[in-house]
Amino acid sequence: MSARTYRYIGTRPIRHDGLDKVTGRANYGADFTLPGLLQGVVVRSPHAHARIVSIETQAAEAVPGVKAVITGKDIPETSARLALGAEGAFDLHDIGDNLMAHGKALYEGHAVAAVAATSIDAAREAAKLVRVVYEPLEPVMSIERAIAPDAPILHADMVTKGRPLPGTTGPTNIAGRMELKRGDVDQAFAGADVVVEREFRTSTVHQGYIEPHACVARSGEDGQILVWCSTQGGFIARDFCALILGIDAARIKVIPSEIGGGFGGKIPVYLEPVAIVLSHKAGRPVKMVMSRSEVFRASGPTSGTRIRMKLGAKRDGTIVAAQASLWYEAGAYRGSPSGAGAMCCLASYAIPNFFVEAHDVVVNKPKVAAYRAPGSPMATFATESLVDEVARAIGMDPIELRLKNAVAEGDHAPYGPVYGPIGLKQVLEAARAHPHWSAPLGPSQGRGVACGFWFNAGLSSSATVTLNGDGSAGVVTGNPDIGGTRVAQAMMVAEELGIPVERVRPSVADTDTAGYTDLTGGSRVCYATGMAVIRAAQDIAEQLRSRAATIWNVDRDRVAWEPGRPGRVIALDESPDGSVRPPLTIVELASKMAQTGGPIVGRAAVNAPMAGPGFAAHICDLDVDKETGRSTVARYTAIQDVGKAVHPSFVEGQMQGGAAQGIGWALNEEYIYDADGVMENAGFLDYRMPVASDLPMIDTVLVEVANPLHPYGVRGVGEVPIVPPLAAVANAMRDATGVRFTELPLSPSRVLEGLGTIAKG
Amino acid sequence: MAIVHFSSNLSQYTGGLETVSIEASRVGELLRALEQRFPDLSGHLESVAVAIDGVIYNDATYQSIPPDSEIHLLPPVSGG
Amino acid sequence: MLSIRYEAPRSIAEAIHLLASDPGAHVLAGGTDLLVQFRAGAKQPSAFIDVKRIPDLVGISLDTNGLRLGAATPAAAICEHAELGRLWPGLVEAVHLIGSAQIQGRGSVGGNLCNASPAADTTSALIADRAECVIAGPGGERVVPAERFCTGPGTTILRRDELLVAVVLPRPPARTADAYFRLIPRSEMDIAVAGAGASVTLDASGTCTAARVAVGAVAPTALLVDAAGQALIGTRLDEATLSLAAAAASAAARPISDKRGTAAYRRHVVGVLAKRAIVSAAARARER
Repeated sequence: MSARTYRYIGTRPIRHDGLDKVTGRANYGADFTLPGLLQGVVVRSPHAHARIVSIETQAAEAVPGVKAVITGKDIPETSARLALGAEGAFDLHDIGDNLMAHGKALYEGHAVAAVAATSIDAAREAAKLVRVVYEPLEPVMSIERAIAPDAPILHADMVTKGRPLPGTTGPTNIAGRMELKRGDVDQAFAGADVVVEREFRTSTVHQGYIEPHACVARSGEDGQILVWCSTQGGFIARDFCALILGIDAARIKVIPSEIGGGFGGKIPVYLEPVAIVLSHKAGRPVKMVMSRSEVFRASGPTSGTRIRMKLGAKRDGTIVAAQASLWYEAGAYRGSPSGAGAMCCLASYAIPNFFVEAHDVVVNKPKVAAYRAPGSPMATFATESLVDEVARAIGMDPIELRLKNAVAEGDHAPYGPVYGPIGLKQVLEAARAHPHWSAPLGPSQGRGVACGFWFNAGLSSSATVTLNGDGSAGVVTGNPDIGGTRVAQAMMVAEELGIPVERVRPSVADTDTAGYTDLTGGSRVCYATGMAVIRAAQDIAEQLRSRAATIWNVDRDRVAWEPGRPGRVIALDESPDGSVRPPLTIVELASKMAQTGGPIVGRAAVNAPMAGPGFAAHICDLDVDKETGRSTVARYTAIQDVGKAVHPSFVEGQMQGGAAQGIGWALNEEYIYDADGVMENAGFLDYRMPVASDLPMIDTVLVEVANPLHPYGVRGVGEVPIVPPLAAVANAMRDATGVRFTELPLSPSRVLEGLGTIAKG
Repeated sequence: MAIVHFSSNLSQYTGGLETVSIEASRVGELLRALEQRFPDLSGHLESVAVAIDGVIYNDATYQSIPPDSEIHLLPPVSGG
Repeated sequence: MLSIRYEAPRSIAEAIHLLASDPGAHVLAGGTDLLVQFRAGAKQPSAFIDVKRIPDLVGISLDTNGLRLGAATPAAAICEHAELGRLWPGLVEAVHLIGSAQIQGRGSVGGNLCNASPAADTTSALIADRAECVIAGPGGERVVPAERFCTGPGTTILRRDELLVAVVLPRPPARTADAYFRLIPRSEMDIAVAGAGASVTLDASGTCTAARVAVGAVAPTALLVDAAGQALIGTRLDEATLSLAAAAASAAARPISDKRGTAAYRRHVVGVLAKRAIVSAAARARER
């Protein structure tokens, strides 16, 4: 693998979808329209926690132009709690109840009814006239409240899954608990020279994708359903709709639009089944587009957390013990990424003794969705802050300390399996060697470093490669292109067939056209779908050997494929007259397809194992105004083991984007609720994601430790980069101010509170 | 013989046993053998991911298990 | 079903008449606040009275007495006016902080005043610069100081049939300059958590002979902090004096805790900003 030299892999061609995107021609979820289109609007609960006493829809139905009004009664309340393949966490009952409340509204913004009308104004007016009588209940807005003995219980039938706390009986808000352990923690702490322990908190944060959820659904008289939507996976959207509505997957065709960001938040369905039901009832197609406020209040952010963690180390820097108690808010239904947090938080270090417990706690906030390395950033914030504390306590360089404890091939991950070839040590060495690490700091600046880990998924993918008569090719897959995967797939076909990238047309296909493919997520597309694409292209090469054998009238095994530019087939033997057969190029063979047996279509499908662990280290310089508490990222460098960068620009873009989101999480992003559990900052003005001018150019260093599971050595790269920034920023804040901050975000007022300038409030 | 390591969540169903040697050539066979040996595990292995010598598989019922493999059973994780 | 009238009068008199004859009518200038509030359902006017076609409301005129800013003059025109930037750099900085480039192409200083947000960046700067508001009504014009224009969040002294026509500023005397500072957690695209404007006049020896300090986002309206200005007069703006002025600004603040910051934070940071604005204004004044 390492010996292979590439023609196209590792180059930076222009993405095929680039021009349409920068000129505004690309079609996103809200761009689609149909004749007779109705506009759908969702009626949402103003209460964070309330029993729904009654819903009256007559007044809404009487509004001129209104064609359908639905409530929870129209969304089947399935008792099935079916897991879907590898996405084991999905619970159909909960998804259905989240789409439209059946008995209780469980968060402010929870859908309780929906209206479709001939105009958006009519739909909005009708929505106001849907009369819902609520019996408000006490909202449960924090982990402390949720686990208090007298806390209101969100779900009367909820029991703790996994390994319940001893003595847990009866209904609870603790939806799940898991433990990870190794060695003897108590003894190890007793023998440690340095023990640091703190409690950390992070706020509920949103992925903040620019494009809101949007879809058009058409339910035909013949029972055939078409859905155009912005989703991370056409097939997962189709299967969710089919399972929730109890209809055959074959009756639903999902056509994914271009997607303006997802980061995990566009894996669930929020609008699509509602639009299908409205369309079915109205007999006309229905369009639904969320406002930004709806996106914040009613799609899936990620968990607010409370984490207590303790590390013990020897004076020489060896970390000998770790103990952690993780509490993650799940939102209104079970399923926070607390387990992933537990599995990730110690994954960077070979620690002989640890005990980690992780709790999944329901609260009256929107149900969390995946968000880029779900669960890892918060727990890693705790770990990497404490590793920084250990380094300070024993007077050791923080990169040296990390290198001393870093995992390498042959070590066991804290969640069990042995690590294959991984690149954490190489990443840390690259960080230490980077000029950033030794650059002088300004007087008001501090520097922090932190590591991060993510698993990277595998899962199922299909690909089809078709050869055109002129020797160009098309590649069709079913993954919506979020991070530049189309051009990467074209590059793989180009590499295998020896034709220029520009002669390969990559397409994202609908669910009728592509073979089944799992979602775009888990950093899996370039790896797993890429594997299918490579094999489909190799399938073409194999067929070209057969076609050449036909032309030469020899056995196929006397013909070899020679990847070159262009790829060509060579005969291993001379012709009967003793002459050397000139090679046949892919272009020549393509022109003879019909004569040699018909079209040439390559296919492949894989269920790929998980893509191999990804590790990163980030260095952050923070400039802190100690009079105002306001801080600015002055310099930032992201270093990551990416396996093999197929298109380095998009790998760098993933690293920069993940860093930007992590910096926002660290500095200013948070859901702010009033005393009644109503979100106060459901918009980009007051939900303060970084804007372009808030960030310096984020420098990137790609470390390539090949992943043996992939023919080119590709690893997942998209999620790891959001893991280190929380602690990298907090460690820089500690360096600049002398104060250890354990609660995010590090907003200006929190910083002045921490510095003792102002009272907490 | 493959050595199977149980997470703390699963060892509550194995009487606290953390590792066990099992003869099995494929993953599905292994999971069935485990359920036979530890009936309380039934229902808790449906959606596990299986790591064989460090490589983590999902839906790997027919994945073959080399002799003397190290097996870990994990909750499935995909990502964002 | 939703019907709304749009009127584009060509004269102040016509606009006044339209306002007087329809209690639900609302003046529309750039619309950068109003249309957002309208779409969010916070304001439901029966008519938009677009004042951008009234010649007296759009334009910048500068003479020996001072400046007259048409109330609907877009912020971008102010930012691009070289002479304004030289005479009132603090005011122009405040205008330049409004929204984004696109917003500045529509939004106006008059609109910023009439929207009456306690956090409006231009209001504190205008108060520091001794600005006055020219108001037209059925009975003619009246003029009020900028610090008296807003009466609370979203409310002004304008009667229903009155229109803000212009903002006038006296030409700054020799060795006089202004500055405006605000605190936002981000670098742009945000609303002030606190803001402070200052205007400082120095004599030839560097002693302060006149000063005004105004603060924003720390009370229901932007405030003129007399005590802060008075603390500066007769001094050479030494560190102790600056701290006194900062303390006066903090003391004048009556902030609330909300999603943008706590009361304690705002009270503290408005003092920091006031001090920075005074220092910056004084540095500019010394160069004149």
